[in-house]
Amino acid sequence: MVTLQINGQSQTIDATPDTPLLWALRDFLGLTGTKFGCGIAQCGACTVHMDGKAVRSCLLTIGSVGNRAITTIEAVGNTPNGAKVQKAWLDIEVVQCGYCQSGQIMSATALLNKTPHPQDADIDAAMAGNLCRCGTYTRIRQAIKNAAKA
Amino acid sequence: MTARNIIVGLACIAIIVLAAMAWIVLGPGPMAFAPGSTVAIASAGSDPSGVPKELAGGDVIKRGEYLAHAADCLACHTGKDAQAYAGGFAFNLPMIGTIYSTNITPDKETGIGNYTDAQFLAAVHRGKRQDGQNLYPAMPYASYTYMTDADALAIKAYLFTLPAVHAPARANRLNFPFNQRALLTAWNMFFSPDTRFAVNAAQSPEWNRGAYLSEALGHCGECHTPRNLMYALDNRQKFAGALTAGWRAYNISADAKAGLGAWSDASLTSYLATGHAEGHGGAAGPMGEASDNSLTYLTAGDIHAMVVYLRSVPAAASNLPHVITVPAPASFREGVTAGLDKRGEKLFAGACASCHDWTGKGQLTTFATLTGARSVNDPSAVNVAQTVMNGIDRKTAAGNVFMPSFGNAYTNAEIAQLANYVTARFGPEGAHLTEKGVQSLRDQAAQR
Repeated sequence: MVTLQINGQSQTIDATPDTPLLWALRDFLGLTGTKFGCGIAQCGACTVHMDGKAVRSCLLTIGSVGNRAITTIEAVGNTPNGAKVQKAWLDIEVVQCGYCQSGQIMSATALLNKTPHPQDADIDAAMAGNLCRCGTYTRIRQAIKNAAKA
Repeated sequence: MTARNIIVGLACIAIIVLAAMAWIVLGPGPMAFAPGSTVAIASAGSDPSGVPKELAGGDVIKRGEYLAHAADCLACHTGKDAQAYAGGFAFNLPMIGTIYSTNITPDKETGIGNYTDAQFLAAVHRGKRQDGQNLYPAMPYASYTYMTDADALAIKAYLFTLPAVHAPARANRLNFPFNQRALLTAWNMFFSPDTRFAVNAAQSPEWNRGAYLSEALGHCGECHTPRNLMYALDNRQKFAGALTAGWRAYNISADAKAGLGAWSDASLTSYLATGHAEGHGGAAGPMGEASDNSLTYLTAGDIHAMVVYLRSVPAAASNLPHVITVPAPASFREGVTAGLDKRGEKLFAGACASCHDWTGKGQLTTFATLTGARSVNDPSAVNVAQTVMNGIDRKTAAGNVFMPSFGNAYTNAEIAQLANYVTARFGPEGAHLTEKGVQSLRDQAAQR
């Protein structure tokens, strides 16, 4: 049994400490907005926030989270930057197939948390680990800039 | 030039050559650094061999299993994707060629199922095969020779309980003259001590147990001690570190900068017991295997004995600069020396930063902390490049520790750029690894 702070609520999960957070979110709590992509922290689809910073939940074990606050795509819209990012995403219709986009939004929000007015190089450095096979990168870049101005 | 001058000149050359040979041949043994005289175990007050007290009541097979773990037979006697102990692991020696390890399961045809006790001891202590031919010293018989007969035979008893696997030995691919096994008879005359462990009465029982574990069983020096021109261990630079199988086996002498001098006992204990120590990084590559297959099986008392012994090895300097113990800046814009190849930074952003962070202290697991790790502080970047190529897949008490391998995804040039960037960002000086250098590292570590 491991207790986690997820989207502002305390959740107890009946799983061993070496269970990946992604499994706990999707299979135990039904929070399926966070996606499984590669399973080896190379695609970014599983990105969530731990204390406001982007982490790959596929390789983060629930035993190592402790009391740190986890935020997922389901609740990131309740944060100021998360709301701005989601609106910017809808305004210019960033999404194509959408599979990677919850991860993209989590990474973009974490970027704005750290760097409120990112330049192209900041966006590259923060977003390079989030892959999009539809190639929505140019719209992602634009939406991040729009969100920063909002 | 007169005939007399020529003779004098030749004589001088002969003397120099002989002196150089004598210098190599008469090198000290692995435990010669320690003051005190030695006596055979039988006549000593304490016996540092065998299994720890808590296992002493067990049967010979249980004892043999513990000792086989301590001697780490598995790592070398298991090929890639092969069954345990069935051989086929490749030792790639630059200039010399490739030697494959052999099947030590009890299969009668291709393994050691027909070995008598005496034949097994001859192999372990003297490097002699059942047919009387010489083994190559890739089999560390120059270290295992210090093992007692009882311990070697306990290992044999354990091996004989394993499932017999039919796996014929792969033919070695060695260049002339190294393909002539008979030549090893001469090598053995000089470099095979053929002697059992002797107790150093001036040292503590812990020290003697640690020496037995580290030398007779663990054979640490086979990777961590540099080799001389004749490929024998050069104990004048004991534990000074060496390049083995394309990986850097680090300096584990008492040297404060390059070795273990600055490590606390707690860190060293943690590293030996778990393959990881906070602030020093984790074991990867061959040391990761030594950790998972061997050291993690040792009792706390045996780990302590190894710490006592390792601490006593005198400092041997090597050219590793000081270790950077503070994290890199949080922003990618800061920290790295200007003028560095930007492609390394781009690769790091895409593949590495999500776990390791730009600081080197990622949030995922402390196993992924780069700050303070010797790999990133080694300006040769050998182990950074190897870890990037091979990834990490370790089974620890805390669960699996995993990093993907990028060897098939990235070109040699990309791996060099990334390794150069990583050492510059997290270590005291950036590496200058080249495409060719990376290919050479690939070749040395290759299992094919």
